[in-house]
Formats: sequence, C-alpha cells, structure tokens
Amino acid sequence: MSIDRVLSKLWVPALLLIVLVLLATFTRYASAYTVILVTSILMYVVLTVSWSIFSGPTGYISLASAAFFGVGIYTAALLGTKLPLPIVILIGGLASSCLAFLVGALTLRLKGTYFAIFTFGLVELIKHLLLWYEIRMTGTRGRFVIVVDNNTIYQVMLAIFVLLLLTAYLVRRSRWGLALKSIGENEQAAAHMGVNVTLVKVSTFALSAVFMGAAGAIMATRWTYIDPYIAFNYFLSFMPVLMAIFGGLGHSFGPILGAAVFAYLEEVLITRFPYYYMLLFGIILLVVIVYLPNGLMGLVQTWRTRRLERQHATA
Amino acid sequence: MDTKDLSRREFLRGAAVAGAGLAAAACGPTPAPTAAPTEAPAAAPTETAVVTPVKDKIVVGMSRPLSGWNATIGDAAFRPIYETWVPMVNAEGGIYVEEYGKKLPIELIIYDDKSDVGTMTRLTEKLILEDKVDFLWPASGTAFIFAQAPIATKYGYVLITAEGGATQIKDMLPSLPGVFVTLSFSDWYQLPVLAEILAAKGAKTAYVSYIADLHGIEYSGVAGIEFPKQGIDVVGLKSLPPDIKDLSPVIKDADASGADIFCCFAYPDQNMPACGTSMELGYNPKAWVGGPGVNFGFYHAAFGPAVEGLMGFTAFARGSSPALDQLADTLYEGKPEEINDWWGHPYYWAGLDVWKAAIEKAGTLDQEKIRDVIASASPENPLETVLGPTWFDNGLLAKETHPGEIGQWINGVFEVVGPTDKATAELVYPKPPWPTG
Repeated sequence: MSIDRVLSKLWVPALLLIVLVLLATFTRYASAYTVILVTSILMYVVLTVSWSIFSGPTGYISLASAAFFGVGIYTAALLGTKLPLPIVILIGGLASSCLAFLVGALTLRLKGTYFAIFTFGLVELIKHLLLWYEIRMTGTRGRFVIVVDNNTIYQVMLAIFVLLLLTAYLVRRSRWGLALKSIGENEQAAAHMGVNVTLVKVSTFALSAVFMGAAGAIMATRWTYIDPYIAFNYFLSFMPVLMAIFGGLGHSFGPILGAAVFAYLEEVLITRFPYYYMLLFGIILLVVIVYLPNGLMGLVQTWRTRRLERQHATA
Repeated sequence: MDTKDLSRREFLRGAAVAGAGLAAAACGPTPAPTAAPTEAPAAAPTETAVVTPVKDKIVVGMSRPLSGWNATIGDAAFRPIYETWVPMVNAEGGIYVEEYGKKLPIELIIYDDKSDVGTMTRLTEKLILEDKVDFLWPASGTAFIFAQAPIATKYGYVLITAEGGATQIKDMLPSLPGVFVTLSFSDWYQLPVLAEILAAKGAKTAYVSYIADLHGIEYSGVAGIEFPKQGIDVVGLKSLPPDIKDLSPVIKDADASGADIFCCFAYPDQNMPACGTSMELGYNPKAWVGGPGVNFGFYHAAFGPAVEGLMGFTAFARGSSPALDQLADTLYEGKPEEINDWWGHPYYWAGLDVWKAAIEKAGTLDQEKIRDVIASASPENPLETVLGPTWFDNGLLAKETHPGEIGQWINGVFEVVGPTDKATAELVYPKPPWPTG
C-alpha cells in the first residue's frame, strides 16, 4: 500500500480525533458565552441524532421528542436537589426510555400519519396530566431547578453527544441496523425474513429516548425555572424533524450537520435580525426544501461528485 | 460491491464535515483566541466604572418575546413603554451620570427569545457575558422572571421587572437582592382591597371561578383568605381548563349559587366569553369581577356599553394625579382605545423612572451602588417617578405608591374605585343591568 493511500485513509479519523479533542478542551479557551451557545447547539444535535436513530431508517415520523425531553427536565426538577447530578441524568434517560418503551409497545402498530399524530398527542397528554397533578396534588405550577455551573453542563452534554454518536454508529453498522432499514423499506417483507419487527422497533424507540431524556435532565439546570408548558414545548418535537431534513435524512451525518447549522443560524437571526427572524428563517427553510431535497449533505455530495468528475476529465 | 466499507468511509467523512461545521459554528462568535476568563461575574459590572472613565452611552440589553405565543403580551405591555420612554430620555440628552460628568444616551440591544424560556436564559447570559451590557431590562411574564432573576443575581445585575409577579416570588426575593418587582398582584394589594370595598357595600357571598394555572390558583387561593376576612363567604369555587370554550355550565352554576359577587380570575380568552355568556343567559350578579383583560381598552372596544359596572384590576385612571394624566396623554392620545392598559403601563414606566433616578442619585453605573440606592429608598427618602414618591418594600413596589388597585367601567371609563382614598369614582354596587337590544 502506498503512503498516499495510507494517508488518505488516516486523515479522516485523525480529523475526527482533533475535533473531539478540541471540543473536549473547549472550556479552556472559549469565551464563557461561546460555551453556553455550543451547549445549546449540542442539545439540538443530540435531539436530532437520537430522533434519526429510529425515524431515519424506519420512516416512522415520531413527534414525541418533546415528551422524552420533558420527562428528563422534570426528573431534574424533582430529584435535582436530592441526588447527585450523574444519577439524576441517568434516571432522566431511563425514565424517558421506559416511557418510550411503553408508548412504543402500544402504538408502533400505527403507521404513517397516525403514528405521528399519536406521538404528538403524547406531548400534550403528559403536559396536561402534569398540570393537573401539580395543581391538584402539590398546589404549584412551576418548579425551580438546581443551578449547575455552565462548564459542567457543557461537558455533560458533550459526553451525551459522544455516547450517542457511538451508539448511532454501532446501531447502523449492526444486524439490528439492517433490520431497521428493512423495516423502513418493507415491513412485511422484513417480518417474513424473520426479523422480529415489534421488538426491533420498540427497543430502538426506547434506546433513542435515553439520550433525549438525559439531555433534558442536564438542560433543565440551565433553564433554572420550569413548568409543564416550558418542559413539554411541542416546538422541540418539530425541531429534530426539521433539522434532520435540513441536514439530509439519507446520510448518517445529515442530522448532525443539519442541527448544528440550523441552531447556529437561529442564534444569528434572533440576535442580529430580531424583528425579521421568523421571516428570514421561513425563507431559508423554503429554499432548502425546494432546492436541496437531500438537505445540506446532499449539497456536499453533489460538490464531491462534481469534483471527482472533473478530476477524471483532466486525468 | 462492498457496502460495509463504503458506509464506514461515509461515516468518517461525514464526521469530519460535521465536526468541522460544529467547530466553525462554535468558534464563530469568539472574539479572539486569547484565553477569556470564564468567571466574569465579579469583573463585568465594575470594569465600566474603573477601567474606562470615557463612556458615551449606556447600553441596555433585553431578551423580549418578539415572536411566539408571548409576543402579543409583550407587544402590548412593556414594549410600548420602553419604545416611548427611551426616545423621550434620549431627546433630553440621556441620563446624567456624575462619574462621567455628562449625560449619556441610552442604547438598546434587543433579542428575540421566541417566547421560549430556554432561549431567554441563553440570551440573557449572552447580553451579560458577550455584549457586556451596562444594564439588563426584564423579559416578559412571570415564569420568565422566575428564570431570569437567578441569572441576573448570579452576575450581580440589577433587574427591575415589568410583566409578571406572583406571591411565589415573594419567598424568593430575599435571595435575589438585586431584583425589584413593579407590577401589583393578588395579595399585593388587589384582593384585600377588593374584599374591603365590596364588604363595605354589603356583599355577603362570592362565587369564584379561576383558570387552572399558576395565576388562577394564586388568585382563587388569596380570595379564599381575603373574602372571609371581610365577612364574605365563598359559596362556589370552580376551576376552568385553559382551553375551555363553553362557559355556560359555570355561569349557570354561579347563577344557581345566588352569590353577590362573581369572579372570573382568568385571561381575556376566558373572561371575554364569560362576559358574553353572562349577558346571553341574563346572569347579572351584584358585582362581576374579571382578571387581566378587563383593564384594557380593548374590553370596552369589544363590548361597548355592556362593560358598564364590570370590575377588574387597575392602577390608575385620568384624575389619579397630574403626572399620571400626563402619562395617559403621552401614551394614549390620538391612538386607538384598544392599546390602553390601565393596570400595567404606569408600573412599567415607574420601573424605568426608578432606574433613571437611581443612576442619577448614585452618580455611577455601578450595579451594586444603584441597587443600594433603590433598596434604601423609603417614604422619607423616596425616588421620584411618574407615581410620585416611590420606594420598594422588600423588593416589591410599596403598596403606598400604588395609585389604585381595583377598577370599574363607569360611563365608558375604567375608573379607580378602590382603595377608597385613591378612587377616581365611587363604586357602583349593585352593577347596572346588561343593556337590552
């Protein structure tokens, strides 16, 4: 093997490593606000990538992200003062996962729009159940969450992100991932081939919720005050779907790119053009959907193919 | 074809792109690659005072709901106030700050929090850490204040609030020394006055309906304490779900209870249909009290003469004081009636007046000194605002400085009817019948 080929095989993992090291040591050199901003971008990335673990290959559009995220938030609000932070985050993830398992077992027989609408209903159901409980049983509506230092929040979010990436990669590369893909292509055929369709769907759904719950638990400590309306904000159900489409659904890194660019763009618009934010955001979304049907990753791939073609032409 | 290899290559390549994107996004707003201290709280406020004696403006930062569900509230409440107040002060050259020996104009930095608490907390820290604003002005709404106040306190910023206030914040205020709440609320000091003036007219029983949220629970709870204190029995208590559409069962239930007073402690979305349904069913209690909404000009614009006798929460009316008459002229003259807010507007305006007076008195932009000036204001040593002599009582605008608490629509004007010593008109009790035809 020539040195050229070794280098060309090595530069990508090397770059990945450098990026990870940069992110891990980020709090040492970045300004305090940049850390906060990147935490928030990572939150969107985590939500979008976890959403796409399940919804990407199977094509089941879940709008339950806000429910899983909200369960994490309430876990932090209820247990934050009683238990150490890592345990709270773990419980947040597990609680979300249990909810996803239950809901998945009940509803994954629903298809297409029905599933999307049910999962969306779940967000409203939990919100109102909590509201009812808080008003009748505890006589309060909102709760204060323990305040955690911003750098710690960043590091926890980064850890969740890295674990999620690893999980997403492993799922995709395994037989399990192939089973998910075959479900997305033709569920009946998959069942005939011997895939335990229900088990694969429900367990993946539950797995994806772990990360959303954990992200919610750590994010709540940044928000300091929460109530059911804040915790179960349906906005966070739609964002992962939009971000994944924005980045490109068919690519493993589409959701990451989509969420990162989308979240950063939003930050720029609400601070630089606060009065035109909605208008500009809408225009950008329209343009991307109309002209980039495969999202940002589609654009990246088109560039790459063109460059390769040009190289071939000159060679 | 070896799909396994292909997907791995894709994975790594994608990772690089995404990582680079992420890193670029992250590094974008960083000013320079110099090591920035992460612990800014102690340095931020003092730096303007000590390091730079030259200063040509006062920079004020705000995270406001310019879009999203909260935008209608923000746009009607605090926004018209700061959009009128700041140009007025700047037209005079700004605020005189002794430390710099001159008047400094105010510059606003406003971000859109999309009515989302998470975004609001992030933007608040951006204003403090990155824009290094001299002052922070408030976000909109009770829940938003609850989330913003601890952040302002953490960085040593003074925060004079606008929209929002609740009994729950009273327990928090001792741990938030730089937070000052301007708006009046349930037991501060609306419902004690309501109970007192109605009892004085002979009301004996009350039916209380309330929206099932923080606001409604608080008002129904305080009513349950204040009404009995004045010898008024609460004979009915009914919670309303926030998305209620048909209020006729509640109105019929209230009618059947025969109570003298009907209360609807809810928002315009509930108390406007409650008013319409009462009219439709011919339910005319001796006193009809509604929550936020009744105090706005749009209530009169919508219901016309049917508003006669309806009661609600308020702060002032024309005739309260010459300064407040002037304020009403400035804000409402030549504009549609819908925008009138007789409850919130003078308090938000007074909050800005307090801020200006405190800066002038302290002679500096130092947060701690300004905080001390506001906190130490008292009846003997007040700050001058549109309300007259003004001071705070444990972080809440002192009730003595409130120009009014309870209002009633009388001859098409939302008059102050309580407390009696501040009234601009006498309470009409029992309420006149609904107009016919």
